[in-house]
Amino acid sequence: MTHLQTSDRFAQNVREALADANLQAALRGARGNFIAKRAKAAALVPEFDAIRDAARDMKNATLADLDLWLEHYERKVTEAGGVVHWAESAEDARAIVLDICRKAGARTVNKGKTMISEECGINDWLERNGIRPVETDLGEYIIQLRGETPSHIIAPAVHVTVPQVREEFRKAHADLPPDRDLEGLDTLLTEARRVLRRKYFEAEVGITGANMLIAETGQSVIVTNEGNGDLSQSLPRVHIVLASIEKVVPTLEDASTVLRLLARSATGQEMSVYTTFSSGPRRRDDPDGPEEYHVVLLDNGRSNMVGGPFQDMLRCIRCGACMNHCPVYQTIGGHAYGWVYPGPMGAVLTPALTGIEKSRDLPNASTFCGRCEEVCPMRIPLPGMMRHWRAQEFERRLTPGAVRWGLGAWTWLAERPRLYRAATRAAALALRAMARGGRLRRLPLGRGWTAHRDFPAPEGDTFMARYARGERPPARQAAAPPPRAQAQDGARP
Amino acid sequence: MSARDRILSRIRRATAQGRDEAERREAVRARLAAAGRQTAPTPAGARTPPEARLAQFEDKLRAVDATVSHVPRLADLPAALAHELRARNLPPSLRMGEEPAFAALDWTGLEVSRGPGRLEEPAALSRAWFGVAETGTLALLSGPDNPVTLTFLAETHFVALRRADILPGLDELWAALRASGRDARTVNLVTGPSRSADIGQVLQLGAHGPVALHVFVIDD
Ligand code: SF4
Repeated sequence: MTHLQTSDRFAQNVREALADANLQAALRGARGNFIAKRAKAAALVPEFDAIRDAARDMKNATLADLDLWLEHYERKVTEAGGVVHWAESAEDARAIVLDICRKAGARTVNKGKTMISEECGINDWLERNGIRPVETDLGEYIIQLRGETPSHIIAPAVHVTVPQVREEFRKAHADLPPDRDLEGLDTLLTEARRVLRRKYFEAEVGITGANMLIAETGQSVIVTNEGNGDLSQSLPRVHIVLASIEKVVPTLEDASTVLRLLARSATGQEMSVYTTFSSGPRRRDDPDGPEEYHVVLLDNGRSNMVGGPFQDMLRCIRCGACMNHCPVYQTIGGHAYGWVYPGPMGAVLTPALTGIEKSRDLPNASTFCGRCEEVCPMRIPLPGMMRHWRAQEFERRLTPGAVRWGLGAWTWLAERPRLYRAATRAAALALRAMARGGRLRRLPLGRGWTAHRDFPAPEGDTFMARYARGERPPARQAAAPPPRAQAQDGARP
Repeated sequence: MSARDRILSRIRRATAQGRDEAERREAVRARLAAAGRQTAPTPAGARTPPEARLAQFEDKLRAVDATVSHVPRLADLPAALAHELRARNLPPSLRMGEEPAFAALDWTGLEVSRGPGRLEEPAALSRAWFGVAETGTLALLSGPDNPVTLTFLAETHFVALRRADILPGLDELWAALRASGRDARTVNLVTGPSRSADIGQVLQLGAHGPVALHVFVIDD
């Protein structure tokens, strides 16, 4: 599937997501799962936060000399007998991959999970050119059957319910007896295993992504739990690695640092099941492994992020923790974001790679609760960068007129404290008068809120007015009266 | 200008600002020369003293759904394998590579074949060069002695590992691999049997790779 970007229809996407009962059931089922596991895994390593700091610094230092690290990495790949291809754009990457596949006489291509392939629309492109791509990661396989794109960067089929998987398998595996038992989850897994096992041996080319590229050794690293990536890369005659340029780390020790964070942040495992370091084609006496090894290094907008306000995003190791902890993602799922990368990391990365004009709603799809930054293993300041996009959106006059007008009016008012206080006080009293049972069913200019839920009415006067009258919360006052100086700065609610 | 040169020069313009090219090259060279030294903090779990290392390794293995047993000497491996196969209701046959240490053993009673993995591979034996106590991880190196496809095609994967090759953490593993002088196409770090939670978000073992992983620790 190619991602036809629909980020510009975000509001519509959200409405559809909220109305999709299957999606909501799947999201409810997944909720909390990742969060508890990550918390437990992180707590077991007292040095976890210190390792996060070190990983951030390591990656920052690498990005500061990214050109030189890439040159060194390329040299090492070449020394090991591999070939490095440079792709400036998705089109470049598609052309390079197709060319390698054609030269290999490929009719079928097996694919390990790779987000870069999604970014470049490799599958559609191959299909259009008469080559069959087969996704081998179980989640990717399921969504390929459904003609969908991933809705999560590490759990691509998280939006699909079990009955939907069952239905899809019955349709796709038509050569199997139609009355077979597919009730248990284990029967579904066994069936997928058997079907895909045969396909591993049919492909002429295997494509994988890379979690890291190691400059010191020229190795590409894949991290998986299923083993599909390894079968995809070691059975076909040709192995293509799709990787973006920011994936490079200097040494094997730096790879340890990332690995110590990655699985714990992603699934709460201490280590994923398979972490494979590959360099070059098979060695002379090897009985298996590919005979050709290609690495496609994709830029696609990233070199423009270097040295700019969004450079920090290039530290991302695609663990998915930010979306797992995001209340917005948990409610709408990944497809609503309308492109390859969902959740908070997508809200920052998508505008950087595709342009803010096409995705101006994404940086606004946040409650700014800050959970994403709290859990991001690479300490990426996601909310800060979303705010930066909002500012750019405003400066470039992409914000709708009504919002601009509202913000202008509010600014004018906020710059006049006396008037502001009087106005908010009047508003609070008016809202209180309009309320029934402490709640407002309708709000002037606030239908976006009240269409879906009531608005809690203000309790009475504003905080400032009550404070000026000397009112204090009774319970707190009895326990420990706050010192006046501290209370005055307005830090206490 | 090629795509390569355009990408690199864009990065250079954005990042080098004012910094001397020779100095930057020197910094990269120095960083590479320091390979082998971990600059990030090492978790306590990767610094277990030798006497507690084996127990930690085994605990971690069990925590990731692998099983483990001890074999006093390498010569006892065939008997231990025959026993395990029987206990698992598997036929007495086994696939492995040309590992010289295995070739020297007496496999009478087991039907042994050698070579890369095939479509159906009920049981295979590999040798792990190292074990990592930090996470219960096995490090396998691809080569004629150890075809990489066996690690992923075997339904039950047996792995033999010398007790002396169990290292405290990942960083000791890199040091040991550099010192070994081996240039394998793949270094495979394996931590438990394969698994997936892609159907209904419920974790199940045996996704594409092995359903079961058993480690023989060779004590001698
Ligand atoms: S932004 Fe941080 S939390 Fe989100 S995927 Fe990237 S590394 Fe993980």
